[in-house]
Amino acid sequence: MIHDLVKYLSNPRNQDAVVHLLLVHIRLALVPLLIGLLAALPIGWAAQRYRRVRALVLGASNVLYTVPSLALFVILPSIIGTRILDELNVVVALALYTAALLVRPVVDALDALPAHVLAAATAVGYRPVRRFLTVELPLAVPVLAAGVRVASVSNISLVSVGALIGVGGLGQLFTEGFQNAYNPPIVVGIALTLALALVVDLLLVAGRSLLTPWQGQRAGRRRLVGAA
Amino acid sequence: MIEFRAVTKRFPDGTTAVDKLSLTAESGRITVLVGPSGCGKTTSLRMINRMIDPTDGTIFIDDLDVRTTDPAVLRRGIGYVIQQAGLFPHRTVLDNVATVPLLIGWGRRKARARAAELLEVVGLPAAMGARYPAQLSGGQQQRVGVARALAADPPVLLMDEPFSAVDPVVREGLQDELLRLQSELGKTVVFVTHDIDEAIKLGDTVAVLREGGRLAQFAPPDQLLAEPADDFVSSFVGRDRGYRRLSFVGSDGLAIHPLRTVALGEPAPPLDEWALAVDGAGRPRGWLPPSSTVDGPLTEDALRPGGSLYTKGGSLRGALDAALSSPSGYGVAVDQAGALVGGVVAGEVLALLRSHRDDS
Repeated sequence: MIHDLVKYLSNPRNQDAVVHLLLVHIRLALVPLLIGLLAALPIGWAAQRYRRVRALVLGASNVLYTVPSLALFVILPSIIGTRILDELNVVVALALYTAALLVRPVVDALDALPAHVLAAATAVGYRPVRRFLTVELPLAVPVLAAGVRVASVSNISLVSVGALIGVGGLGQLFTEGFQNAYNPPIVVGIALTLALALVVDLLLVAGRSLLTPWQGQRAGRRRLVGAA
Repeated sequence: MIEFRAVTKRFPDGTTAVDKLSLTAESGRITVLVGPSGCGKTTSLRMINRMIDPTDGTIFIDDLDVRTTDPAVLRRGIGYVIQQAGLFPHRTVLDNVATVPLLIGWGRRKARARAAELLEVVGLPAAMGARYPAQLSGGQQQRVGVARALAADPPVLLMDEPFSAVDPVVREGLQDELLRLQSELGKTVVFVTHDIDEAIKLGDTVAVLREGGRLAQFAPPDQLLAEPADDFVSSFVGRDRGYRRLSFVGSDGLAIHPLRTVALGEPAPPLDEWALAVDGAGRPRGWLPPSSTVDGPLTEDALRPGGSLYTKGGSLRGALDAALSSPSGYGVAVDQAGALVGGVVAGEVLALLRSHRDDS
């Protein structure tokens, strides 16, 4: 087993193929993550503001998320007019999932903002869009970041399913190994998928801390400051 | 000057929050809106800066109908201090204070310099500018809230129960600070509170509102206490209003009697009357009861605690309270530095009050 694995990985052609698939996998997972997040923000904003939009959006996102990914990959070409083997199918499908997954955290995060802070923002003279971008959104980052972490893991694992329609990044190592009854590519595929998920998650956690310097060590410092 | 002209606010659910409110908040004065919850005081305040628009009637700021101005622009010219301060948790104290200057287009450096200046005005150390709001106490946050409201030097300041979330001692300090600031800045302040004592302490004029947003009385605090318009106002201003009204009566002409004193740390002679113990700086420390025997130098252990102190030149309320709370029956009068001036007696306070009444 180990012997087979070493032999598989020492072949330069396999090395090139694995690196290529990894890069494709990263692209197929993260581009939709970004698109889905950018779509979820205005949708979530509207859903949080207008009751009717909220019911519609949250209902639709639940339904969408229950559509099996494979089915979505297969029917998308007939809906958006792409070819069956187009990367775009996977990108669009995963962007839809990401948006569906993130709309609720966006709504929840906006719901959870303290009313007195929002009232103060209005009272000092922010217009709605600027208030959203410079007050509401930064304050929503902690809740949003949790949602983005879930969506990133979900995307990284779902990309593999795309292998069944021929566009699946590391997932193609699974189909390859399965068809040839040869384990090493499968093992490499699993290991790299897990590693990728872990690295992306760590990066997201680091990014969150960078965006929320105001969240650090509040309890400890407050004691030092004392009363007014 | 802020004028409410027959302003009514009905919410979609049918409740009337404010009912034909007409009043004028004079420029450079503190006007307090006070009343129980549900009396529409916050709604009234928020109609001034158009966070809520009235159903009927008009609000003018210096003869300008507020509804003719773009709300965001209007609000940048009106300072607003909210309950719990409402600071932006994700911005440092300095950036919180710099918010409005930045919104009206100042450069970042100028806005921050102005913010630093404001921190000093509200009595916060400059180093605090780098902190985040969560690292401040409630009282400090409230000061930052006031600094933020003042940053662009607006002529009008709206304050919505700004001190209700801090403990009583800090609240009193903040109230005194507000009065000091106001004496320097002379803003047109509209202040909302449910606390009648706060209203009486801060207000140049007080509007008492009752449930359903109807104006019960609009008068200076002194008059509110002396002549409540109806039973609602009289029960709202409280049972001891006669006593509290003494806060507005000056004590000119009140006799101050010399008191028998003994010095702390020295032997006390035998006495047949109450004697006030004073320290080296002449500050009263407590009373020595008649016919007490003291062995050796007088210490604080032998003393009975004194009552409240009456600062000479203050109100009759301070004088009467000093007399009533003193074990000897003599209220202790001190000067601004806290040194003993003499004693006052309750009967003479009442006699002075009677002569004031006969004069008017």
